[in-house]
Amino acid sequence: MNNINDLRYREVLIECLYQMADDKLLLGHRDSEWLGCCPDIEGDVAFSSIAQDEVGHATFYYQLLHQLGEDDPDRLAFGRDASKWRNCMLVERENDDWTYSITRHLFFDQFDQIRLQAMCTSSYEPLQHGVKKMIREEYYHLLHMKTWFKQLGRAGGVATQKLQQAIEKLWPDVNGMFSFAGIEEDLLRFELIQLTPTEMRVKWEAEMKALFQQANMSWPGEFPQLKHDGRKGEHSAALKTLLLTMGEVYQSEPSAKW
Amino acid sequence: MTEEKQYASFMERIRAGEKIEATDWMPIEYRKLLIKLIHMHAVSEIMGAYPEKEWVPRAPSLRRKLAIMAKVQDEMGHGQLLLRVVEDLSAPLGRTREELVSDIYHGKVKFHNVFHMEARTWADAGVIGWLVDGAAIINQASLLETSYGPYARVLKRICAEESFHMQHGENIILALAMGTDAQRQSLQTALDYWWESLLFFFGPQEVTPAAKQMMHYQIRLKTNEELRQKFLDKYVPRIQSLGLTIPDLSLRYDDSQKKWRYQAPDWHKFSQIVTQNKGPKSEERMLLRKKAHEDQQWVREAMRNHNISISSAL
Amino acid sequence: MQNNQNDVYEVFVQKSHAEQHQHVGSLIAPSPDMAVQMARENFLRRDHAVNLWVVPQSQVTSSTYGGRFFAREMDRGYREVKGYTENGRLWRMFREKVMTLEEIVAFVEEKERGETEGGER
Repeated sequence: MNNINDLRYREVLIECLYQMADDKLLLGHRDSEWLGCCPDIEGDVAFSSIAQDEVGHATFYYQLLHQLGEDDPDRLAFGRDASKWRNCMLVERENDDWTYSITRHLFFDQFDQIRLQAMCTSSYEPLQHGVKKMIREEYYHLLHMKTWFKQLGRAGGVATQKLQQAIEKLWPDVNGMFSFAGIEEDLLRFELIQLTPTEMRVKWEAEMKALFQQANMSWPGEFPQLKHDGRKGEHSAALKTLLLTMGEVYQSEPSAKW
Repeated sequence: MTEEKQYASFMERIRAGEKIEATDWMPIEYRKLLIKLIHMHAVSEIMGAYPEKEWVPRAPSLRRKLAIMAKVQDEMGHGQLLLRVVEDLSAPLGRTREELVSDIYHGKVKFHNVFHMEARTWADAGVIGWLVDGAAIINQASLLETSYGPYARVLKRICAEESFHMQHGENIILALAMGTDAQRQSLQTALDYWWESLLFFFGPQEVTPAAKQMMHYQIRLKTNEELRQKFLDKYVPRIQSLGLTIPDLSLRYDDSQKKWRYQAPDWHKFSQIVTQNKGPKSEERMLLRKKAHEDQQWVREAMRNHNISISSAL
Repeated sequence: MQNNQNDVYEVFVQKSHAEQHQHVGSLIAPSPDMAVQMARENFLRRDHAVNLWVVPQSQVTSSTYGGRFFAREMDRGYREVKGYTENGRLWRMFREKVMTLEEIVAFVEEKERGETEGGER
């Protein structure tokens, strides 16, 4: 029913893949900045595996994009102007303390799990195939983040205060994850995805509310309206700095093999 | 058994090539030598993560990004394995992980000279992966037969993972050597910068009293110079085959002595770097470790507090 | 656990359902949950496994190393294959060859494999 030769189908699929790929690469990149700097050595090793998984997933999406006629994956990752990036703002923000990174990751992983589950029967088979694999890998991420979150929340004292601050700082970015920048209806129509953004957010809220309760954390309430939508290419200065760093070597000789 | 008899039977076991275990009786000198060696090894792995960590955000392809992340992660993992060995050895002396890590930024434990140096370019990161790791592998392989069982077992695992690091480093270097003029030039510049550090890495030519004791107890089985010679054996031909120039005009193989002759590194300069933490990057990287450990103590405490509250709730 | 140190956990990995859990090392963690999660990445970054145990080191009771505890000095050939080398010679008297367990296993497995394939067809 859904034809890859249908111009609009292709367009929507490509846009959606950029959103997913860019989310993952930036989150993985931010995670990797923690290398050697986590609160304990064992945790450092565990967190790095998660970072690698994220970059690995991004690579998968960029490969799908390349198969659909977009640039080669490395050029997409290292040679693209900030305005072309389709990630949500949440993942591009600079790292802060450990509670911020854990909470951001938790928020994103929960969203990602819902988004992936809504794509398990996606009409684009290569995507469906990869999504099923990724869901399996993401299980550990969510488990790990939930464990951190619960323990930090229940600890009391400085940790809980900082966790509270992290939640407040992240809250304005939550809504941005659920933006599909106008392609949501077509995604549904083409059966690329099975849920509307609102349905996804309802699921997310239910999961997170239960977790907040277990962690003894209070729910901050309504999500503020989006000021800038990363999915529409509206980004912060943090992304531009990140991209300059990430592309530094690649862009010193873009035609070279590295 | 008297201490003398215990010592005699301990040395008997060492001479018979038996492995000593954490719970066995051991002379305090043996314990302290092990702690010194393995603590430095562990800390070198952890501090060794930093030079390459600086290039993780800038790795020039997705595959390189993944690989260098995995490699730096392995270094941390090796640090973890080795720290566990030191922790068990140090437990009778009342020392724990917290202290063994804070020793780094209190200047109470040394780490290898190479990790005090700058990683200025991607080619530097490549040379670290190829030659610094190459040197480290030769060193670690020579310790596989160490008399201390827990160290030997951990080294076995480490060496297995190093085989990936070797391929990773070589792959970066090969790409640069086959690349553009600028890439080849940056590789040569990196080699020029690292060569002296690499020679120093194996330590002084003379056998120090501590080294002598380590050999007495078969903690180590080879001298610094033997290992340096092995490094030169393995790597000089490969470096030359890539068309690179080793920045030592006097370097040659002495057929009659079956030994490499080389321009000695500046022993004094590098000793200062290691013992006084006076390398170009010593301070910055020690500060990173301090921030990770000391500034995040509240995280570790929070995770424990939680534990207490749960168990008291039960 | 109530002091200001994390616990040491010994880590055991079961690589496949056909194998027992094997000790691979130890780590420091603030809780058993975290120990399990960290063990996955500290010991299984490359290898596959089906299960993982962590045990507080303080709960491990150990034998002594070497020497008397493991002493088996007298001949126990009666319970080992190598105690029956004469079977080969004896079978030859009946114009038969000695059989090994490996041979039987290989024989049986091949037969069973053949049957499943047949069944599928």
